[in-house]
Amino acid sequence: MPTTRGAMAAILLACFAVGGAALAQSDDPLGVGRKMLAEDNPGELWIDQGKTLFYQKRGPKNASLEQCDFGMGPGKLEGAAARLPRYFPDTDKVQDLETRLLTCMVQLQGFNRADIVKRAISPGGSSGSDVEALALYITSRSNGMTVNVSLSHQKEYDTYKAGEYLFFRRSGQTDFGCVQCHGEANKRIRLQDLVHMTDKKGAQEVASTWPAYRGAHFVVRTMQWRLTDCFWQMRLPDMSYGSDMSIALTQYLNYQGNGAVIRVPGFKR
Amino acid sequence: MGIAGLRWVVVVGVPALIAAGCATFPDEATTRQIGEKMVNEGFTTNPVFAKRLVQDRSQQICSKIAGAQLTQQEAAEVVKLARASIQYPASGKLVGDWKVGDRLAHDGAGDRILRGKLEKRKENGGLCQNCHALEPGEVNVGNVGPSLTGYGLQRGNSEAIAKLTYERIYNAWAYSPCSNMPRLGATRHLTPEQITHMVAYLLDPASPINKR
Repeated sequence: MPTTRGAMAAILLACFAVGGAALAQSDDPLGVGRKMLAEDNPGELWIDQGKTLFYQKRGPKNASLEQCDFGMGPGKLEGAAARLPRYFPDTDKVQDLETRLLTCMVQLQGFNRADIVKRAISPGGSSGSDVEALALYITSRSNGMTVNVSLSHQKEYDTYKAGEYLFFRRSGQTDFGCVQCHGEANKRIRLQDLVHMTDKKGAQEVASTWPAYRGAHFVVRTMQWRLTDCFWQMRLPDMSYGSDMSIALTQYLNYQGNGAVIRVPGFKR
Repeated sequence: MGIAGLRWVVVVGVPALIAAGCATFPDEATTRQIGEKMVNEGFTTNPVFAKRLVQDRSQQICSKIAGAQLTQQEAAEVVKLARASIQYPASGKLVGDWKVGDRLAHDGAGDRILRGKLEKRKENGGLCQNCHALEPGEVNVGNVGPSLTGYGLQRGNSEAIAKLTYERIYNAWAYSPCSNMPRLGATRHLTPEQITHMVAYLLDPASPINKR
């Protein structure tokens, strides 16, 4: 046994040495650092928390979310997130994962919409919000599956086109639309890589890695948070959580990202 | 199928398809209407901030979708509006203090809105570092815009260059219509005086941006 352990330690050391050499030689030292962090993603911890919240009887109506329909039928979560946003006849709206979750928390569990929205995006360094954990759990049930957002209802076509329009719409004192930062390959704001979203691969990264663990905040963040934070940097007012605008941008980007394989939680610096 | 048959398909077929609710992409005007409604309802805001969401004429022109090209006429209009927007400092001096400019160039803060509150500071940062390489060897800089390293070394610091530099910062669209660069002076993100300091930072031979 001690011999085996010694051998293993030697192998580990050898791996480390090789890894070290690779680090020194890499053209992209930042990328190497990010990869090392992503390999041990603390966001995994939120999946279990979300699962517990999903099956627990909660809220004024003392109900679980098991009857929630994310588009594949009540309680059917496998592959559901991969097809969102989509049109839901009961609300007569195109909804993303988070707004659909809100609908269920209000209708099935009796929560107050405004209360959930107020807490949906958690403070950095906190233990996270219910919505963040639930969104991650539900999306994780599509892990390994392919993003497949489709357009068939008229409202899906409308939302998609509006999302495209909004992606290119410049406003405010920085004259920014989304495309000013996300329209070219290999761009950075200071040292932060910017995803090239007008490229298929970049859009696929967007569509398949949220919710994600955000290293700098020590919590899991959702797509709604990502958009909110962009608008903040653009010097625009506070984005309304779950607004039709946010759904349209998500619909546009996820549709571009069709074909990506979902792997959540993603890892962001 | 004869001509008569084809006509039957066109006359009866198309309205039938629409009546049956065959969904399709909305046209440009409808898209715009839906999109603008979403913007109006998409932010929680007080009226003071809401005006940031309204596009001016140049921003409308510069929001081309998915690589659609600016027409020559549109480009000319953007340039004309940009030229008309440029104001010069009261002092008339276009070259300020490079040390102040250095600080501003590395300051990315100011005027952001979080939970209804304005990020109030003594002055807004210049945002340069976010997108441009600055001093030689400086690592924490973006690359959305072109490198400014050695800006003054390449161009000298004549009066003409100072004026051009001032105007490009005040309103970049006067020279590059619809470029990604914010119209920092024209949108009032920066004051004319702040811009003179950034001009100095770019042109002064003593500025670290021009270190050899």
